[in-house]
Amino acid sequence: MIKLAHIDKTYNPNTVNETKLFTDFNLEVKDNEFVSIIGSNGSGKTTLLNMICGSIPIDNGEILINGESINKLSEFRRYKRIGRVYQNPAMGTCANMTILENMSLADNKGKIFDLKWGTNKKRIKFYKEQLAQLNLGLEDKLGVKVGLLSGGQRQAMALLMSTMTPIDILILDEHTAALDPKTAEIIMALTDKIVREKNLTTIMVTHNLMYALEYGSRLIMMHEGNAIMDIEGDEKRSVVVDDILDIFNRISIERGN
Amino acid sequence: MKKFLSILLASAMAMTMLTGCGGKIGEADGETDVNVADNVKIGIAQFAPHGSLDNCVEGFKQGLAEAGYVEGENLEIDFQNAQADMANTNQIAQSMVAANVDLICAVATPMAQAAYNAAQGNIPVIYTAVTDPVAAELANEDGSGVGNATGTSDKLAVDAQLEMIRKFQPDAKNIGILYTTSEANSVSAIEEYKSLAGNYGFEIVESGISQSSDIPMAAADLASKVDCISNLTDNTVVSSLPVLLDAAKNAGIPVYGSEIEQVKNGCVATEGLDYIALGKQTGAMAARVLQGESAQSIPYETISEYSLYINSEALAALNMECPEELKANAVEAAEAE
Amino acid sequence: MALVLSVLEQGFIYTILALGVYITYKILDFPDLTVDSSFPLGAAVCAVMIKAGINPYITLPVSFAAGGIAGLATGLIHVKFKVRDLLSGIITMTILYSINLHITGSQANMPIFSDDNIFTLSPFADKLGKYNKVAVIFIIMLICKILMDLYLKTKSGYLLRAVGDNDTVVTVLAKDKGIVKIIGLVIANALVALAGCVMCQDQRFFEISMGTGTIVIGLASVIIGTNVFGKLSFIKTTTSVIIGSVIYKACVAIAIWMGLAAIDMKLITGALFLVILVLSNFRKAGVDND
Repeated sequence: MIKLAHIDKTYNPNTVNETKLFTDFNLEVKDNEFVSIIGSNGSGKTTLLNMICGSIPIDNGEILINGESINKLSEFRRYKRIGRVYQNPAMGTCANMTILENMSLADNKGKIFDLKWGTNKKRIKFYKEQLAQLNLGLEDKLGVKVGLLSGGQRQAMALLMSTMTPIDILILDEHTAALDPKTAEIIMALTDKIVREKNLTTIMVTHNLMYALEYGSRLIMMHEGNAIMDIEGDEKRSVVVDDILDIFNRISIERGN
Repeated sequence: MKKFLSILLASAMAMTMLTGCGGKIGEADGETDVNVADNVKIGIAQFAPHGSLDNCVEGFKQGLAEAGYVEGENLEIDFQNAQADMANTNQIAQSMVAANVDLICAVATPMAQAAYNAAQGNIPVIYTAVTDPVAAELANEDGSGVGNATGTSDKLAVDAQLEMIRKFQPDAKNIGILYTTSEANSVSAIEEYKSLAGNYGFEIVESGISQSSDIPMAAADLASKVDCISNLTDNTVVSSLPVLLDAAKNAGIPVYGSEIEQVKNGCVATEGLDYIALGKQTGAMAARVLQGESAQSIPYETISEYSLYINSEALAALNMECPEELKANAVEAAEAE
Repeated sequence: MALVLSVLEQGFIYTILALGVYITYKILDFPDLTVDSSFPLGAAVCAVMIKAGINPYITLPVSFAAGGIAGLATGLIHVKFKVRDLLSGIITMTILYSINLHITGSQANMPIFSDDNIFTLSPFADKLGKYNKVAVIFIIMLICKILMDLYLKTKSGYLLRAVGDNDTVVTVLAKDKGIVKIIGLVIANALVALAGCVMCQDQRFFEISMGTGTIVIGLASVIIGTNVFGKLSFIKTTTSVIIGSVIYKACVAIAIWMGLAAIDMKLITGALFLVILVLSNFRKAGVDND
C-alpha cells in the first residue's frame, strides 16, 4: 500500500518562476490496485511518480509504503521495492551491453553484485522463456547489443527487466508514449499480463485515454496538482472516452484556451 | 574513395618500412665505423629546451671540434630534445641505442639516467649538467664512473657564492631562494646552501613551488621577506627569471645568479658557472672516449674554475656597487665572450 | 630491431596505464586527471621499497594498492562531496604531488640503478637476453588485460559497465551509482600506479615529473585503439587498447627517427595521430557505404 499524505511541492521557490504544484495533496493506493493516471501537461502526473521514487524531493508531507515512511530513503534504496519503466525506451536498458547481459543484470536486482560471473548459465533458459513471451524473436538474439534493437523491443525488455525480481510497486511513466500504435498495443497487453500474473500494485501515467479506460482497476485524472476525478470498479467500467474528453474540454475552457 | 584509402594505407606502410630501415641503416653504420675510426656518429640528447642546456650543447660541440671532431666533416650528430617530457626521454635514449651510435651525450639528470639505463654499458654515455652524479647513481662515491658513463657536473660554487654575497651586502641577514620541489638538482643545492649559510652569518629562506604559474606569488612573497635572493639553476624558475627579477626590483633587493646567462639577463652578479665552458670540458672528455679511453675509467668532473660575473647596470639600478676587493677579478657579463 | 623492442616495451607499459584510462574515460565517461599523479605514485612506492631492499615483485601489488587509494580519494571527493569530476581528479592530483615527495623523503629524483628489479630477477633473464624486458612487461600487461576482461564479465563488472552506459538502470536496480563509480576509479588508478611501478623499474629511476602529460598518452592510446580497431567485432576492446598504446609509442618513435629538427618532434607525432584517425574514419565511412 502506498500512501501520500499532506504533500506540498513547489518548483523554483522564491523566484519569478515559482510554481506551486501540490498543496496538501493526499492519495492512497491499495495493494494490487492498478491505477491509471491521466491529465494534461503540467498537471503533476510525472512529478507524482518522481516524488514516490525519490527522484525529486518533497517540501512537506509524508510518503509511506506499507505503513513505513520512505521520506528519508534515497532514490536508489526505494527501488528495492519499486520497478520503473520510463517513457524513453533508452532509459531502461544498457545500449552497449547485450540482451543476455541486460537480463542478467536485472535478474540480480536485490542481490549482491560481487565477483561471480555476471551471467549464470543456468538461468539462460529462463531468460529465453521470458523473452519468448514477447513474441519479438529476442530469445534468439541473446548476444546482440540492446542498442541495436528498436524502441519497442527495448521497451519490452525494460518491462521484463523491471518486473523480473519480486517488487511491491510497478511505476509506468508514459511507457507507451514513444512507441508506434501497434507496438504500444503489444507492450500494453504485455504490461497487463505481467501485472495480473505477479499481482503488482501499479501506477501508470499515460496520455492514451483508451489505455487508461481499458486497463487498470482505478482511474485518476490530475489537474493542477489535484485529483479531479478518481473512479474505480463499476463506475470506471461505465465511463467512456467521450465522458473524459468532456471533462478535459471543460478544464480547458476554464483555463481559457 | 577506395583509391584514396589505398594511397593513404600505402604511405602509412611505407612509413613503417622506413622506420624498419632506419634501424638497419643505423646498425650498418655502427659496424662500418669500427673500421673507419675517424668518422663517428654520436647522439646528443637534451632534456628540455633551456638557455643553459643549449649552451652546454654548444660548448660540447666546440669541445669536440677542438679535439678534431667537426660536425659535418668527420662527425655526424643526431640531436634530440625531450621537451621536458619524461615519457620521451626513454624513447629518445632507446632510439639512439637502437641506431647504435658511438657515444651518447646526455644533457641534464633525467636524460642522463635514461641514456645510462638504455645504453646498458654497451654504448658510452657522457653526461653534462648533472648536479650530483653520485646521488643520481651515475658515479660512485669516489667519483669514478659506473657502467661506461662519465661526464661533468654543474654543481654550484655555493661556498664562493655565499662569500661573494657577504662582500656585496655586509649587513644582509637573509637570503631567499626560490626553487621547484620537483627538481632534484635544486633540492640538493638548497641543502648545501643551508649547511654553509651559517659560516657566513646568513639564514636561508626557501620557497618551494611546483609549477611556473606559482612563481609570481611566490616571488613577491619571498622578496618581501629577505635581504637578497640567490637564484639557482632551477629549470622552471630560470625560465621565468624576469618575473623573479621584477618582484625583487619592487622590493628593492638584488638577485644573485648562478651562471653567466642569468647575470646577462639582469641578476647583479654570480660566482658561477659558464655552461659553454662546462660543455667544452664535456666535449673534451667525449673526445677521449671516442679515441678509445673507457668512460668508466674517467672520473666525473666539475667545472675547474668559477669566475665572478657582474651586471653593472643592474647594480646601479639598486644603488649598489661592486666591492673594491672583487673589482679586479670581476668580468662584465654582457662583455664576456 | 632494438627500436621495435623499445616501442613494444614502452607501448606495453603504457598499455597497463591505458587500460586504467579506458575504465574511467570510456566506461565511466569520467575525465580522470588523477592519473598524472597516480602514475608517479606507483613509481615512488616502487623506488622506496626497492631501496629498502624489498623484493621487487612485491612492489607490484603494493603500488597497485597505493594507486587504488588515490582513485578512492578522487571517487570520494566526487561522490561524497559532490565535486565535479574534472575538479575531483585535479584535487587528488595536486595533493598527490606532495604525497609522492613525502613518500620518497622529498627526493624529486630517486635512482635505483644499482638495485635488483623485476627484470634482473626474472626467471628467464639469462635465456631471453635482450628480449627479457619486453617478455616480463608483456606478461604483466597480459595478466592485467585478462583480469580486466574477466572482471568486466562478473556481476560487479556488469554494474560498472552499466553505470557508464546508462546510470538510470543502476539506480533502478537499487544500487548506488556513486559507489560503482568509486570502484571504477579505484581499479583505474590501481592500474595506472602499477604502470608507474613497472616504468620505474624499466627506467631504473623515479622522477617526480614523470607523470606530467600521462593522461594525454593514456587518452590518445585509448582513442587511437578504440577508433581504429574498436569496430572490428572479433577484437576485444582491451586488445584494441593494447594496439592503440603500441601505435602511440610507434608514432613517437617515428617522430624521433624522422626528427630533422628536435622542436618538430611533437608536430610530427601529432600529425601521425591525425593521419591514423582520419584513415580509420575513412575506413568506417567506406564500410557504411557498402
